[in-house]
Amino acid sequence: MIDNDRMNAEVAVFNFNRVPQNIYRFMDMGTSKPWLAIAARTNVGNTYTLRIELDKFPNEIPKVFVTRMLTTRSGAPMSGVSASMHTLSSENGRTRICHYGSQAWNPRVTLFKIYAKCRLWLEAYEGHRATGRDLDYWLKHQA
Amino acid sequence: MENINMILEQETLPLYFVDKQELDDYGRGGVGSLAGVSYEWEGEQVVHLRTRPARHAYGQVGQVLFTRDPAQAMSASVPLAVLVTEHDNGFSATVYRHGERQDNVNYIPARDELYSRNKGILELNILESKTVAIVGLGSFGSQIAIELAKAGVGHFKLLDFDRVELHNLARHTCTASELGRLKTDAIADAVLGKNPYAQVEKFPVDINKNLSLLDAVVRESDLVIVATDNNTSRFNINDALVRHGRVGIYGRAITRAEGGDVFRYRPGGPCYTCLVGNGTFSGEEEITNEASARRNGQIPAYMSAADAQTVVQVGLSADIQPLCNLMVKLALVELSRGAHSGITSLEQELVYDYYMWANRRERKYANWHALPGAGPMPTILRWYGARIERNTHCVACRSTQSTEIVADMDQGEEYARQLGDNYDGLELEVED
Ligand SMILES: [Zn+2]
Repeated sequence: MIDNDRMNAEVAVFNFNRVPQNIYRFMDMGTSKPWLAIAARTNVGNTYTLRIELDKFPNEIPKVFVTRMLTTRSGAPMSGVSASMHTLSSENGRTRICHYGSQAWNPRVTLFKIYAKCRLWLEAYEGHRATGRDLDYWLKHQA
Repeated sequence: MENINMILEQETLPLYFVDKQELDDYGRGGVGSLAGVSYEWEGEQVVHLRTRPARHAYGQVGQVLFTRDPAQAMSASVPLAVLVTEHDNGFSATVYRHGERQDNVNYIPARDELYSRNKGILELNILESKTVAIVGLGSFGSQIAIELAKAGVGHFKLLDFDRVELHNLARHTCTASELGRLKTDAIADAVLGKNPYAQVEKFPVDINKNLSLLDAVVRESDLVIVATDNNTSRFNINDALVRHGRVGIYGRAITRAEGGDVFRYRPGGPCYTCLVGNGTFSGEEEITNEASARRNGQIPAYMSAADAQTVVQVGLSADIQPLCNLMVKLALVELSRGAHSGITSLEQELVYDYYMWANRRERKYANWHALPGAGPMPTILRWYGARIERNTHCVACRSTQSTEIVADMDQGEEYARQLGDNYDGLELEVED
């Protein structure tokens, strides 16, 4: 589980990468289910909120959700496991992003890096909405 | 050939075994006759005569009477009897079957005699006092547990939540008769079979879901064998080892056991996370079980069962043995460190943090040199040791101020450039 030292270090990395402090907040710290809420805006200007669950971070890949259920170009909910769409099983009505693979994971990976990969996922998602191509077209498989 | 024939001819069957410790306990206990238990391995004519039921199975079970009364022992109506006689230096046993004296009685040595053969090599009193936790009782953990029991380690904590399954058997110490048993139960019996005086605690739990239990187990152990099949558990164990200053021995095989590596953590030295961040360490490893690999993410959720089967590639048991063997030796050296035992000289040899081994010149080892004429080039079937730098800013074993770990973290600057500054006026909206 994330501790205070690690949280402070994550804030330092966000600062280093010029992520303003008003777009994220550590939630439910000190409970068994801490998580990070962080806003993201795509290049065309759409905004999303991401939920990064920190109860097993950093020793295990954290679950990342978009805080609502996204839909495909054809209107289907993005709730299931899909290789070409880079999604995992949704929980509580939130689309879950597949952002890291187990071989590449280690406890040095920062929340900023996860956030950045999810930002790129959101760009790919909007690419899919615009063209109908699967997210795979833009994202190579997350190692 | 001559010798073998001689031995076979001289042997009088059946063979009886009486436990010396139980004999002493019965003799000193001052009780009268005692209804014990006999165990016979069917068709093998090997009979164990016990005063109490054994904790692990023998085969066919019967009854045996322990008595000090010769008339009772020699009675033709008593199918099997042990006549216990006191001498100056303890007790002896005479076995009667329906009143007929049996010739071939042997003794299972009492506790202090059991590992006397190791004396001079291993420091038995020290090993007997040590506690080893073994996390993961698969092909690695099961073998290592039994080897450490043979060496005389006195206390074991066994952690694994799996049961013995058919696909385990080829590389596991368990036999087909043990299918379905919890691995903790099966390996506890195997350990007790080698060292009946060992103290064994069983934890059939998923440590990744029971971190406080893992923490307590590591704290109460002198050394931890890390024989799990996934990195999350290794990182979790690493944290506990660092926290409590305990020694850890990690081992794993690479795909199809074409090779493998072993890592030793000693307090103050480089930790497993230092190693993984080191760049030379490969994340690739052997996947032997689809269910387990799906659980820990090595097989992605979206991969079909057919594709997954091509990922599951089990190597030979013989290719696992050398890795287990080094792990056992490293464990014995660490447990005996400073005790001036017969393996003290190994402290000067096994000085490395990280060891590599190749079984075949394939894939990762394809450009290694063939064994004949290799000279100084790396070859198969040899250990290569390396010292690993401790990362002073390591996120796991940091000894410095909290923010200094930033230097070790994967800050993702390349992503920052890709994303650009796109934050103006962006606000966080959080649901409750
Ligand atoms: Zn470290």
